[in-house]
Amino acid sequence: MSTSLLLQYFVIAVAVLLSVWVVAKRQFPGIVRKLRVAIALPLLREGRPAWMQLVGRWISPVKQTAADGCGGCDSCGPKI
Amino acid sequence: MSAAAPLRLALVGNPNSGKTALFNQLTGSRQKVANYAGVTVERKEGRLVSRSGRHYAVLDLPGAYSLHAASLDEAITRDLCRGYLPGEPAPDVLVCVVDGTNLRLHLRFALEVRELGKPMLLALNMADVARRRGIHIDLAVLARELGVPVVETVAVQQNGSAALVEQLDRMAEGLQPPQRQIAQGADLHQETRRLLAAAVQMPTRTASIDGALDRWLLHPVFGLVALALVMFLIFQAVYAWAAPLMGVIAAATGWLGDSVGAVLPEGPLSSLLVNGVIAGLGGVIVFLPQILILFAFILALEESGYLPRAAFLLDRMMASAGLSGRSFIPLLSSFACAIPGIMATRSIQDPRDRLATILVAPLMTCSARLPVYALLIGAFIPQRQVWGVFNQQGLVLFGLYVAGILSALMVSWVMKKWRRDKGEHPLLLELPSYRVPQVRDVLIGLWERAWIFLRRVGGIILALTILLWFLLSYPAAPGDGTLSAIEYSFAGRIGHAMTGIFAPIGFNWQICIALIPGMAAREVAVASLATVYALSAADDSAAAQALTPLIADGWSLATALSLLVWFIYAPMCISTLATIKRETNSWRKMSFATIYLFALAYGASFVTYQLAVLLGAG
Repeated sequence: MSTSLLLQYFVIAVAVLLSVWVVAKRQFPGIVRKLRVAIALPLLREGRPAWMQLVGRWISPVKQTAADGCGGCDSCGPKI
Repeated sequence: MSAAAPLRLALVGNPNSGKTALFNQLTGSRQKVANYAGVTVERKEGRLVSRSGRHYAVLDLPGAYSLHAASLDEAITRDLCRGYLPGEPAPDVLVCVVDGTNLRLHLRFALEVRELGKPMLLALNMADVARRRGIHIDLAVLARELGVPVVETVAVQQNGSAALVEQLDRMAEGLQPPQRQIAQGADLHQETRRLLAAAVQMPTRTASIDGALDRWLLHPVFGLVALALVMFLIFQAVYAWAAPLMGVIAAATGWLGDSVGAVLPEGPLSSLLVNGVIAGLGGVIVFLPQILILFAFILALEESGYLPRAAFLLDRMMASAGLSGRSFIPLLSSFACAIPGIMATRSIQDPRDRLATILVAPLMTCSARLPVYALLIGAFIPQRQVWGVFNQQGLVLFGLYVAGILSALMVSWVMKKWRRDKGEHPLLLELPSYRVPQVRDVLIGLWERAWIFLRRVGGIILALTILLWFLLSYPAAPGDGTLSAIEYSFAGRIGHAMTGIFAPIGFNWQICIALIPGMAAREVAVASLATVYALSAADDSAAAQALTPLIADGWSLATALSLLVWFIYAPMCISTLATIKRETNSWRKMSFATIYLFALAYGASFVTYQLAVLLGAG
């Protein structure tokens, strides 16, 4: 396989993975949140190396401070 | 009170008094949005620091017409103002926001709030609009007669709340209850009239224009004819005016695809960009002009004050179909998107009316359906004049919108019969004065709509298009494969498997594929079809063709009609279903909505397709 083709496949893989992430976050926010918590918790346990804790903090979802609101099309209809 | 504890302000007022705009101006981005405990009523709290350095906690309460609560929103407002809401401390100051252009209604509520006997301030909002309309309000007299401080605010103008904050700082030095109470035996309407006579001078011209227009536009027959005419003209314009711009966008997309294809070497990346991203997104973005024209009309009607009158006109019809007059606003919102429409049903006090409205809201034609309708109408309905005046494509689009409305009325009527409900709830609605829509406001609204649409195109639609391209391209065809490559792909196999279910309603495997990503957002179905046809084209010149002629050549009229009918009914939107679950707090009701809508879609498409085939359109 040529380098050019390899590079193309790499770009496609990144695009596909990013798309999976966008769709999952948008359509299944609850599941994604639980998944992030499940992955982050073991990394944040006491005694883990600093880099692992850093990754854990990066993965863990931000604290929810608001109701999940519309979550759909970001639009609002006419107000009367 | 300790120096550190911020003073608690609660913004109260009628719906549409501009409370939330004022809240946004006071608190900026320092807001927290949540729900009140145990209910789906939104709670918005923010922080304000005045120039003098005093801290305030500002609460934006749900809009209420009265403290004699008729809905959950009003009950929350009542309880919080009185300090009875569990977990919520009583506010220190009530800031009653009233619309300066509609004091007859808003002052009545202000008087109710005043009777609570808590420190209070009247924010006379939309003061600039009131002045422009020639309404003269004597603030000093109003403050004296009300017995509370009155300040002017313009919530949509920078520094429009400066006077309010200064007054709050002055009040905070020593909080005082209102200086006057309503006289024993006097009623609120009487007191409102007294206040208006003392402090407000209304222009006679506005009232006489309103009266003259309302005599026609609220007439039980002419009013309905006018409403039908307005809606009809909107759909005509959507087709007649959008064509040139759509042509420009289609040409630009085609040019971009050709250019990228020429620059990049043949390979998977070129296919992803040309057949996936550009063909897919181009197929959706081309409908932006039609969406904007539709919303320009809706925004202009909203600004003109006509929409509440339409609600009033349709109240009787909706009540006889098992809906409340209050359902009109949520259902109208559903024409933009069912999600805010379903959320707006919170203002309906009767739980059965509310559920009926939630269940039929997805039948209103949301803006995401427009690209699908426009594609199919463009491909199968000839562009010609009917009776020398009407655009035939516009007529069909109008018919699809009407079909959605009639279906919603029919479904709610069946539900009413099912539950044997004979009760009706009176509609209480505010009819604002007519006004000429401000071009600036309409343009801002259109910009917001365009931005929302483009964000969707660049976000969820782009992501789904890339995923669909991947599923349509892999695995590649085997070396000895005899079919086209797409038939060996994941999506090709899924599409062929689905035809077992969808063949009786005339859907081919390409349509079946498009239905799956279309569940995330309806317009993705168009992008998906564009990608499917681009990838399955025999050569590049065929792939570069626009989608409309491709499906016009490849599908029968029966299939197109069946798909149009499918999109009237099918709940092709996961977010809408999730919102139904959240608002009803019931999996059972959400499942019922899903099943009945899919069953309706399948049944109606089946009848349409089979009839069309029988009539020779297959």
